[in-house]
Parts: sequence; C-alpha cells; structure tokens
Amino acid sequence: MDKVEVLSPAGNLPSLKAAVDNGADAVYFGFRNETNARNFEGLNFSEKEARQGIEYAHKKGSMANITLNTNPRADDPSAWYRTVDVAAEFGADALILSNLSLLKYARERYPKLPLHLSVQASVSNYEAINFYQRHFGITRVILPRVLTVEDIRLLSEKTSVELEVFAFGGLCVMTEGRCFLSSYVTGVSPNIQGVCSPAKSVRFEHQGGQLQTRLGGVLIAQYEKGEQAAYPTICKGCFEANDQVYHVMEEPSSLNILEMLPEVLDAGVTCLKIEGRQRTKSYVGTVTKVIRQAVDAYYKNPDQFRVKGAWQKVLNAASEGSSHTLGTYEESWQ
Amino acid sequence: MKISLGPVLFDWGRKGLTAFYELMAAQAPVDIIYLGEVVCSKRSGFEADELISVAKKIKQAGKQPVISTYGLVMSEQEQHFLREVIAQAKEEQIWVEANDMAAIGVGEGGELVAGPHINTYNGETMDFLADVGVNRVVFPVELPATAMKTIIDGQKGAGLESELFAYGRLPLTFSARCYTARAFNLHKANCQFKCADFSDGMRVKTQDGKGFLNLNGVQTMSDPLYNLLGSIDLIKQTGIDIIRLSPQSQNMVEVVHIWRDCLDGRMDAEEGITRMAELTGDQSGFCNGYFYDKPGLDFIANPA
Repeated sequence: MDKVEVLSPAGNLPSLKAAVDNGADAVYFGFRNETNARNFEGLNFSEKEARQGIEYAHKKGSMANITLNTNPRADDPSAWYRTVDVAAEFGADALILSNLSLLKYARERYPKLPLHLSVQASVSNYEAINFYQRHFGITRVILPRVLTVEDIRLLSEKTSVELEVFAFGGLCVMTEGRCFLSSYVTGVSPNIQGVCSPAKSVRFEHQGGQLQTRLGGVLIAQYEKGEQAAYPTICKGCFEANDQVYHVMEEPSSLNILEMLPEVLDAGVTCLKIEGRQRTKSYVGTVTKVIRQAVDAYYKNPDQFRVKGAWQKVLNAASEGSSHTLGTYEESWQ
Repeated sequence: MKISLGPVLFDWGRKGLTAFYELMAAQAPVDIIYLGEVVCSKRSGFEADELISVAKKIKQAGKQPVISTYGLVMSEQEQHFLREVIAQAKEEQIWVEANDMAAIGVGEGGELVAGPHINTYNGETMDFLADVGVNRVVFPVELPATAMKTIIDGQKGAGLESELFAYGRLPLTFSARCYTARAFNLHKANCQFKCADFSDGMRVKTQDGKGFLNLNGVQTMSDPLYNLLGSIDLIKQTGIDIIRLSPQSQNMVEVVHIWRDCLDGRMDAEEGITRMAELTGDQSGFCNGYFYDKPGLDFIANPA
C-alpha cells in the first residue's frame, strides 16, 4: 500500500533542514511578505533561501511546496503573481494556493506545476473540489478542520483529487480563508495581510491579581495566578454567553490526530500535514520525528498499531496549552 | 441605488419565514429579496419547491427573488439539496446566490450571485466569476471601501453588479461545531434545535460586560449591528449598485423605509441613525469599521 506522506512546516531554512533531517517526505514554506497566511515578523523565506531550501530538500529526497495562500491585494497583486513565477522557476514540487485569479494564472502560465488547493479555500465537499479540478487541474486539496473522519472517507470515494489533512498543531475551528474574526477586532486579516491575531494587537495586563489577555483592546481571557495564559485568539477566548462564562467556541488546545491515525489513513488520506510555520526549529524537528515514527509503525503492522505513551508525551510538550484534542475528526466534538 | 433584503440568517421556522416574506413583499420598498437557508441544513426552513413558490410570489410583487444557499457544505444531503434547488431555480429563471464554491460548481453557467462568503478580493477574481455565470458579487464584509472601488473600477468589462453588506449583524464565520448547542452542553447531532429560541441569535459578552459577538448555530456574528447609513456618500462614490440589509426579527419594514428615505435624500443620515437607534433600542449600538479599513467592530461616528 502507498504510504501516507508526512508534510512539515518551515518558517526558515534551519526549520526546513530539521524537517527534512527528521524524516519529512515534504516541507512547505512561504515568502517573507503578505502572500502567505503566516506573515509574521522575522519569519519565512527570501527568494535566495527558497532556492537553497528546495535544493536541500531535493538533495535529501524530500519535496518542497511553496505556500501562496492569501488573496492578492486589489490595488497591487504583483507580489502574488511573482510568487507563482518563482515557484515554477525554482522547481517547487507544488504550489499551495486558494485565490481564483492566482489559480487561473498558475494553470495557464505553468501547466506542469502541480497545484494544491490551500485550506484557505475552505473546500469541504466534492462539488467544490470537482469545480477546482475542472478549471485548474488541482491535484490535491487541503481540507479545512470541519470534517469528521467519516466525512473524509465519503469524500475520498467521490474524488480523484488527493486529500491532505491536518495531523498536528494549532487548531483553527472555523472555515479558514472565510473567517473574519481577526479583522473584526484588529483590522488585520489572515485572508488579506496573512496574519491572524497579530502580536502588535496583543496585550498581557495585570489587573487586581489577575492576568488579562487582550486582542485589539477586547478582553479575551483572564487568569488566576499560576494559571498558564494562552496567546489570545478569539476562537479560543473565554466569554459570557447563556449566563455562563466559558470557552464559547473552543478551549486553547492543539490538534493531535495520533489516536485516530488508523481511521484517518483508512479514510483515504494522501498526506498528513503538521501545522506550525511560526514555531521553532526544535518544534519542527521533534514533531516531524514523532509523526514519522508513528506512521512507519503503522505501516509495519497496521493491525497491531498502538499509540506509544512516549510519542504523546513529546507531542503534548510541543502543544499550545499543553493539551490536545481530536477536534472535528470525532463527531462528538461538533 | 437598489436595496436588497439579504437572506434570513436566523432560525425562524417555516411559519415565521412565510409571514416575514409576505410582509416584506407587500410592504418593504426593496428591489431584491434573497431567501433560503445559509447557516444550517438541520433547520426547518423551506424545502426546495417551497422556496421556488415563495420566490415566485416575490416576483409577482415586482421584486427580484434570489435563492441563497449554504455557507458551509459538507454532507451528501447538502449537496443533493443544492443540485435540486439550483435545477428548479434554473427552470424558473430565478437567480441563485452561492455561499460555498459547491454552488458555483453546481450552478456553473446559470444565473449566479457570488455571496459574501465567496472570496472576491480583486478584479481578476470578478472576471473569472463572470466567466462561470456570476452576474453579481456581494463583497466579503471585511473588504474596505477603497478595495471595492479599485475592484469595481478595474473590471475588464465584465460589468458585474456589486452589492454591499450595509446593515445587520455581520456574518463573520462558520464552523463545523454548533456554538448554540454548545452553550447548552449539547452536540450538533442532538442540538434540540435550540437556534429556534434565539430569533436574533445569542449574545456573547466579554468578561468585562461588553457586547461582542453573537452566536447563531454554526455561524458567529457581530453583536453590534453593522450600519453604514452614515456612509451613503462614500457608498455612492465607491460605485456600489446594491446595498444589502440583513433581516433582524423586529421592525424590518421601518428599517428599510429609513434606508430608502436616506438614499433618496428625503431624510438626512443623522436623523436616520437616531430613528434607527430608537427602533432597534440596541444596547451595543452600531459598528461600521470594516468599510473604513478599521476593525469591523469599530464605530466611526463622523466618517470623512
């Protein structure tokens, strides 16, 4: 049977090398500008580094995908088109994108460049997948975190496009690419500027013995002394609704698919994606290694597959909030 | 400038919806009425043939009906419903609003509106959408006026109509999880149809007591009402063809009249806003930031 691909994030060249050296089949990265959805200070690649990164990955037998998953600015889309050109010129193994105008440009200009439909397109059904396949010849779709494993299995029966799913890391719980929560409070959008909950809008404030976290001035959560404070994002905030104070949407926890690995692989998934281009080289290396081990252990003996305690311990330590969830892959989460 | 009534985003049930559309068709000075479930396929709104029959009545009242469709499509049943309703709409020459690319795919070549959940962020995307049958685009709510103007001015002769979400609770995002059910410790699979008890959604406040968001099943909205009544000059300069008013459960006929009077210069914006604030009696006031490239929840009182 074909082995599932392990795809790791790279926020810079050292992380890319850590991913490749720890067994990633492929890596993905973006450029140092608004053209990708992890447009953070001090992160991402220059064109020179991109060329080096692709070369390093190829030399070690891994693939390198370039991320171009924001919407081009209406007044000046040149940086986005330039990224398409560069991806083709540098020999990237795939371009990950979501915007219709870029898909059209990439398909017309570079018919041989494999196109992966970004999670930022939030495509969760075969009618939409068929549309993108028909018009742009996409070969893969990265699924938003809205489908259960059963949904994914049914979807895989209805399409010849490869399915890529998130296996580990930060958990977006919305229709990505169509979520306006960040811009609602900060004016900065993952869909346009490539940033969700920008650091410059974050405040940690001590207030009467409590620690308050704010985003764009809005109180997101407050913590007693000794409690671990999470980075303030709206979807993991603690608010009041229906006369209760609680995490109205989701707790600050990370996605970790390991417990359902056999079901996810059996559902017809081609690629397991690790989230976290904004994380450190050590995170990338560590998480890649564990997912690699787990995947290899599964294929060695699928029927005997058991999640090792040691793997979970390492992954939990790498998690935001130090807790994990299967998220929407399990129906009861919804 | 035309006025449209956006799709009802809340769970008013078949009976509530029927009464609402009878009233609006007869009494509201709108040019276009969108109808159809956008948020959740579990809700007991209209079946496909009922939607078509209400749409025909709207047409008879001299207004353009448009059938709106789901913002998040996942299941086989949802895709089946899309195919069914789009086929019937085509037969009756009724336009369909797509809010997920599935509906663009199913309705390709027909008469389509790209709704506010389709990512139309630039002119080239407008041109592509025109090629697959889209006649009108409702811009994503986070897009500022400056970008809309660039897009409208830069279209390559596609001549698509442009529509602006101008009034109502902002539809900010969808999730697979039902937050209304979660507020009652229920799962979506056994939601007990709690949305039906919240005709304008469920308010979310911050822990310091400020109105913030609004839960509407799998949809998250703004708590303050988005209101661009004070921005009519800029709306006109931007080149928008249609302004969309999103239905709330109270006083919609009066709200539409205020907008019509302000648009036609029979009432000034200041008076309009005062009257609207009285009508809605709203605790959280209004917001309008997105239009000015600011956080959506901001309210700019005297926009330049």
